[in-house]
Amino acid sequence: MAYREKLAAVNFTAMALVYAVYFTIVATRPPEARLLDMLWLFGMVATAHALVAIGGNLAVRIQSGGGAADERDRAIERRGASIAYAVLLVGMILVGVVMPFTEAPGKIVNTALFAIVIAELTHQGVILLSYRRGWHG
Amino acid sequence: MAKGALSNQIRMLRFMAGEMTQAELGLAVGVTRQTIAAIEQGKYSPTLEAAFRIARVFDKPLEEVFQWEEG
Repeated sequence: MAYREKLAAVNFTAMALVYAVYFTIVATRPPEARLLDMLWLFGMVATAHALVAIGGNLAVRIQSGGGAADERDRAIERRGASIAYAVLLVGMILVGVVMPFTEAPGKIVNTALFAIVIAELTHQGVILLSYRRGWHG
Repeated sequence: MAKGALSNQIRMLRFMAGEMTQAELGLAVGVTRQTIAAIEQGKYSPTLEAAFRIARVFDKPLEEVFQWEEG
């Protein structure tokens, strides 16, 4: 596995694991939870994500030796970012245009966060698949 | 748009250049070994700049390294 392929795998796994825990907690607790409690939980999860991602990235860098991105890496990155942008756009339309008329603030905030997480997972997932399947943009 | 495929002689040129490895060619061109492998297999079409750099390494004109085949 190439260096940047490993990085994408680490970033995808870190985000998927940490935010799976967050959204499981949010989905299973009582709906009347205070916004401050939710923000506190999010702060802990975001910190955990940062620590896991930084640790994983450092481990990959030490193991693989790092290296600058070349033109193919950049083409793959562009493909991932453009597809993730479309996913994020759909999520933000849902959160900003549709949900304010029907949903509570806490649910809107968490749906926005969910859209961001899904978009980033799409970004890293497309990069990973591009390396594995030979899609080069 | 005209259909076709880009082919190349990189593998043969590496062989003729004293069994040059993909990593050595990548280093000379400024791309990774994986990118050279992808170019060789026809999975990735390099930029014009990288194509010229590859041709320059083998001291060959571009059209001897890369060929456009009409589909």
